[in-house]
Amino acid sequence: MRVTKGAQIVASTALLAVAVAACGGGSGTETGNSGTSADTPVRMELGEPQNLLVPSNTTESEGAEALAAVFEPLVNYNENKEAVEAAAESITSDDNKVWTIKLKSGYTWHNGEPMIAQNYVDAWNFAANQENAQGAGYFFGRIDGYADLNPGEGKTPSTKEMKGLKAVDDTTLQVTLTAPFSQFKTMLGYTAFYPLPKAAFGADGKVTDAYGEQPIGQGMFKLDKPYKKGTDQSIDLTVYDKYPGKKPNGWTKLQFKLYNSSETAYNDLQGDNIDIHDSLPASAIASAKTALGERYQDQPDAGIGYIGFPLQYNDEYKDIKMREAISMAIDRKTIAETVFSGTRAPADDFINPAIAGYRQGACAACSYNPGKAKEQYAAANGPKMLELGYNADGGHKEWIEAVANNLRANLGVEVTVKPFEKFASILDDLDAKKYKGMFRMGWAIDYPSAENYLTPIFSTGAIKTGSNYAGYTNPEFDKTVAKGDQAPTAEEGLKFYQQADDILIKDLPYIPVYFYRNNSGYSTKVKNVKINLLNQVEWVDVEKA
Amino acid sequence: MGRYILRRLIQALPVLLGATFFIFAIVFALPGDPVAALAGDKRQDPNIVAIIREQYHLNDPLLVQYWHYIKGIVLEGDFGQTFAGVPVTQLLAGKLQVTLNLALVALTLEAIIGVLLGLWAALRRGRATDTAILASTLLLISIPTLVSGFVLQLWLGVWLKHVTGTEFFPISGATQGLKSYLLPGFVLAGVSIAYLTRLTRTSLVETLRSDYIRTATAKGLSRRRVIGRHGLRNALIPMVTYLGADLGNLMGGAVITETIFNLPGIGLQLYNGVYLREQPIVVGIVTVLVLVYILANLVVDLMYAVLDPRIRYE
Repeated sequence: MRVTKGAQIVASTALLAVAVAACGGGSGTETGNSGTSADTPVRMELGEPQNLLVPSNTTESEGAEALAAVFEPLVNYNENKEAVEAAAESITSDDNKVWTIKLKSGYTWHNGEPMIAQNYVDAWNFAANQENAQGAGYFFGRIDGYADLNPGEGKTPSTKEMKGLKAVDDTTLQVTLTAPFSQFKTMLGYTAFYPLPKAAFGADGKVTDAYGEQPIGQGMFKLDKPYKKGTDQSIDLTVYDKYPGKKPNGWTKLQFKLYNSSETAYNDLQGDNIDIHDSLPASAIASAKTALGERYQDQPDAGIGYIGFPLQYNDEYKDIKMREAISMAIDRKTIAETVFSGTRAPADDFINPAIAGYRQGACAACSYNPGKAKEQYAAANGPKMLELGYNADGGHKEWIEAVANNLRANLGVEVTVKPFEKFASILDDLDAKKYKGMFRMGWAIDYPSAENYLTPIFSTGAIKTGSNYAGYTNPEFDKTVAKGDQAPTAEEGLKFYQQADDILIKDLPYIPVYFYRNNSGYSTKVKNVKINLLNQVEWVDVEKA
Repeated sequence: MGRYILRRLIQALPVLLGATFFIFAIVFALPGDPVAALAGDKRQDPNIVAIIREQYHLNDPLLVQYWHYIKGIVLEGDFGQTFAGVPVTQLLAGKLQVTLNLALVALTLEAIIGVLLGLWAALRRGRATDTAILASTLLLISIPTLVSGFVLQLWLGVWLKHVTGTEFFPISGATQGLKSYLLPGFVLAGVSIAYLTRLTRTSLVETLRSDYIRTATAKGLSRRRVIGRHGLRNALIPMVTYLGADLGNLMGGAVITETIFNLPGIGLQLYNGVYLREQPIVVGIVTVLVLVYILANLVVDLMYAVLDPRIRYE
């Protein structure tokens, strides 16, 4: 059939028509740039939360930042890195095993319900139950009865409640642990320990998806509308009128703008299109210092980067003297300042400076000493070939190459660098005892206690259930940590943790290489931006400029 | 022609099925446990991993997984869901529009700039203008999108806004209508503009040498009519072919541009899907891309008849 004149016109204008129609759609509300009225939101950069906004399924920083605005935790952390009561009136225990948590009165949920102790019981039981597959479920592992809710793969829990968890009355919560733990109060500021209102649960006793899209909290801000993950580009919040605590001064609206690229967010910050960016990219650090001036902030962040050894099945690394030599051959200062443009600090302890318990220069073998390294490595008869594995997906190539160069130059050994597609593949190979080389490792804390740098990574128990990828085991270390757990006060516990830290420094199952730093910046439209121990913005302090 | 279109669409079915299975198999073969990857640098509780794997049929062999997936689509129109529990259809609904907008803006810019530059170069063949255009297209081809994207964002987004006080080109986001897409569209189209310019130039130069052009000139038609009606129209066929195929390329290639300009499109989603090994997302997006390719090619084939009436469809 011949194409008619009409069809010609249709066809030739088709593309244009589609183009025009397509661009017409997708309109949205754009926040104005004018004025500094109370209604203009304070806008902050955020990465897309990994999951729906359910506290017990949020273990990453972006979702946690959003939830922290919506919920009031039981404790906050002050400038001395101590836990202070927030939603709790008091948190006490005589033996560090049975804890009594009294709640402050006056907290209500954003839907008007009063907050009661039972809300905590419900939320924690839900989180701990393996059937609900909550990412942060393991946080409740110290509570008596956790094992009943986690009988293991393929088995069904016999109960839905932990026996160690009781709401004595509306304002009193009693928690019994399986063993004394002096740091329990410190843990309670973490996202996983937020309570949930009755409205969160569906008929089947599970948290509903609708709740995950628009979580009802008892904190400073409430969500304006459900957050459709994967579609929405911002999370919009307004100060909750009945919030009993101190509210932000002079503004009521908060907006998290979701970014995929930190660089783009930094350009938006420079263009005053957002107000706070709390994870500036390394590429921006040099210019940020001059471009932002005082509005650029640099502070310790609780994460650590290590190099680990597969001690469990590779005897080549058994000699501590040799591990010490490798550690001394690494020029941490240059790596932190040059490779990372100052977004890291050279590590000199297993405990990070952001957390109480850090001791400057504690790890002697962490200081750069190429001469001694070479001598000691030769004396220990270390292997002539070393292998360094890392995951190629997380920006680790550069510093791993730098370490490899250090080892080549200072120890006179051959070093091969082995990239893995992603971190999970290193872990798979370590689990299968297939990978024999050294590997890059990192740790971001769950709760700000020195203990969190020890038990989950280096205890014997953590080989199976935690992150002890080295397969390090030392009964003396386990005992000392346990003494810290059982100490009558958090401060006394800290002494034992430091002793356990000393054992690690002596044994070097991992080599600490760098501490993370938090690099943040803010626009000309706000002032007094403070970032707390959990890397979250203290909203109550933020003011409009 | 109706039958022709129908036949082409039916032919597309095995292509779609084959492409989805191929992609499904590739994602399946990627190393690492997708559930473990969800926990980042921490070890996921083995109980929880087992439960999630069960929930998403991850323990089944490839063919069984694929069967579950196709069955869901055919029987319930269910394209699966992400590990975070978001249905893939919901994920794509809003994002497809963004990527389509971006690709169409890019295509429009590409068509206008590419054809005009190519025309200009062809008419000034061998002269300084021609050389300058050819040299600048070479430059355009050699700059990676990642570089041109950030540089233009910094100059036209941040710097220009500082100097003039008005926002001409939004730095990020898709909330300001067409304005939001101009800069990213240009960045995305960059390389294609250069290719199309060169293609137009070559194609036109060749056509202008033909006998019928000489005839047209000889019978006294105006230069405008000779070039526009007889030259350009006949030179258009390879250009239209290129543009049609490029629509699919642009949509697939939007990953970097969308990241730089923070546009919530499917390119970005595709990247995340591959990274987290979320088969339903990757396969869903690839299906859409294959569809766009097939439709664009169909439109291109139909356009041939418009440009050259000698072409018939049976």
